[in-house]
Amino acid sequence: MGKMERFAFVALVAGIIFFLFADFVSWALPMFVMKDIPKKSVIDLAKEAKAKNTTAWSDFKKVATAYPESFKKLCEYEDAFTGVSKIPADKCQPNEETLAKALKVGHRWYVAEGCWNCHSQMVRPVSNETLRFGIPGVSNTVSYPSEYNNELQAPVLWGTKRVGQDLIREAAVHNLGWQAAHLYQPTSTSPGSVMPGYPWYFEEVKDPQTGKTKIVPNERGIALLTYIMWLGSWEVKPPKDFKLEAVAK
Amino acid sequence: MSNTQDLKNLVNYGLVKAHVAMGLVFFIIVAIMGFLYSLQLDGIYPFPGIEFLSPGRVRMIHTAGAAYGFLVNMFTGLLYWAVPRFTGYRILSDALGWFMFIALQAAVLITVVSILFLGQADNVEWGETPWWLDPIIVFWLLLHLIQFGAPLYKASQRGPLYVTGWYISAMLVWTPLVVFMGNLIPRFWSVGSGAGAVQSTFIHDLVGLYVTPVAWGLMYYFVPVIMKKPMWSHGLSLLGFWGLAFFYPMNGVHHFLWSPIPMFAQYSAVFATVAVEFAVTSVLINFMMTLRGSAEQLKYNVPLRYMYTGAIFYWITCFQCAFHVTLTFQKVIHFTDWVTGHAHLIMFGTFGLWVLGMAEYIWPRLFGRETMYSKGLSEGAYWLLAIGVFAMFVDLTAGGLVQGFDWIGLNPWIDSVNFSKPFWYFRSVTGLMMLTGLLMYAVNFYKTATAGKSLSAELKSESV
Repeated sequence: MGKMERFAFVALVAGIIFFLFADFVSWALPMFVMKDIPKKSVIDLAKEAKAKNTTAWSDFKKVATAYPESFKKLCEYEDAFTGVSKIPADKCQPNEETLAKALKVGHRWYVAEGCWNCHSQMVRPVSNETLRFGIPGVSNTVSYPSEYNNELQAPVLWGTKRVGQDLIREAAVHNLGWQAAHLYQPTSTSPGSVMPGYPWYFEEVKDPQTGKTKIVPNERGIALLTYIMWLGSWEVKPPKDFKLEAVAK
Repeated sequence: MSNTQDLKNLVNYGLVKAHVAMGLVFFIIVAIMGFLYSLQLDGIYPFPGIEFLSPGRVRMIHTAGAAYGFLVNMFTGLLYWAVPRFTGYRILSDALGWFMFIALQAAVLITVVSILFLGQADNVEWGETPWWLDPIIVFWLLLHLIQFGAPLYKASQRGPLYVTGWYISAMLVWTPLVVFMGNLIPRFWSVGSGAGAVQSTFIHDLVGLYVTPVAWGLMYYFVPVIMKKPMWSHGLSLLGFWGLAFFYPMNGVHHFLWSPIPMFAQYSAVFATVAVEFAVTSVLINFMMTLRGSAEQLKYNVPLRYMYTGAIFYWITCFQCAFHVTLTFQKVIHFTDWVTGHAHLIMFGTFGLWVLGMAEYIWPRLFGRETMYSKGLSEGAYWLLAIGVFAMFVDLTAGGLVQGFDWIGLNPWIDSVNFSKPFWYFRSVTGLMMLTGLLMYAVNFYKTATAGKSLSAELKSESV
């Protein structure tokens, strides 16, 4: 028994051996089990979005054409913390590279604002969550490991608290205009909301034709909107009764 | 032990004072941050539309500041007092101590500036420090290991260590490993669910392998010293320590139950968490039996009362945990304010009250006095803090149940927000109580430090 009360024994057995054993069970083994799931970088995600023509890609194009000035500034945006660099003006169109940059910058500010303190990114298989988050029949699946295996989920953004809704199936739930208005002033779209407004993601510009000032998202704003509209875009499937003719008419 | 060396030379009073004082300052700042954030949920946030005071950023200062500004400062200060006194050896180096003190304050200030002004944060709960700061924190913790490891190692060469020594020795090894694991692995070596498993282990290990062992180690030192009698059972001390050391590190994944982490890890976390409650109960029995026959001291001795109140809150939290860690409870209470209430009862109600009690015991002694400046302020602060935090816990637990069942019921989301508002208003009131208590405590602290000097000067002049 005397040994159990010595510095070296405690430091070795409790400090190192027990710690390593626990970490083996709690995360080394789970990581090993999931080792075959491919890890995706941000550029992989952007390429995938474009190749599969997901809503993230179409929303990004919408953002870029609706706010061309902010999009130009996003191309020029530099940030040592995330390591994003300037994109030359001739390549400043909606493409994989700019989408990857928008996702990276948007994710960085999503984290910096602590959005994850009130919005989780995980749909659990219990408590009717598959019915609540996403749109039934369109994007209401439970969370699964492979959708988190990418650079934007390192560290993972599951969160531990919900004041607002879960966001991992957000792409199908609200459109871009709603997201922009909500980000600027949450009570404008959701009366009773306790979410703060984020006016520093917007700026006032003068419309050259009408002379009126309007509020548009700035470069960080469009990046954040792109990121939010990307969340769950890989899960959005066309509804079963969706018919193209209806649109053509 | 201590009669061979001069007690005054044994303990570096300056380091204790500096750390404890900074710890109290950060405690108040952190409490103000938490109170500000609660005002956002009440819809009366005083600084809307200001980027650098956005509630989301303020909330990260609340959590990261509580970890590094408040708890690390307070615990390090108390260790500078306790470790040399129970081992009989000085810390490794005073100069290193001052360097570490300045480095710690700098790290906290850098964190505050990065999160509020630069928008550089990490999405690891309790590890919100920007990633480039984390290797520096790990280095600081290695210095912390040799600083306090030296006296413990020397004492261990001479004979078995006292209970406090086991807890502190293990903690000194655990903490750098935990911070390295939690902050750097999920960013550079792991993604997705694997990162989630590491992060959840980190959230719990920083509590379980840093805060808990230091705090229990200090309790095993201060409680017998104050009551002037030994712990009731050495066997239970051993059981409690080794039970905690084995099961606590495995608890982490219970933060992400029903998540895409493989189920075996989730089950092991549930099992280990329930097992920890048995270890905790054995520790509590030991402390309660030690109190037996001396309970009347709680009436007069405010530091001791802080410690036992904290101990009871600790047991309530752990008892609650044994139930809500199950997959059944998780369906309702995960993501709700129940968890917030739980976290506040353990962090403020237990560890907060403990460090305040311990600081209230050593602070007058650092200035050559036996008691704090004002008994009234001391009592007032105690009651405001204890009632405030317990009321907050009850309020948030109830609010959490309302939210959880409302979400299951598939009502419109905004309903759960509106139903929570009365609970959030009351939470702010309890927060105000706790803040008032802390300010009273701080006034008493300041007065003890300044009045102590004049008192000793008077005595000197009389004796001349």
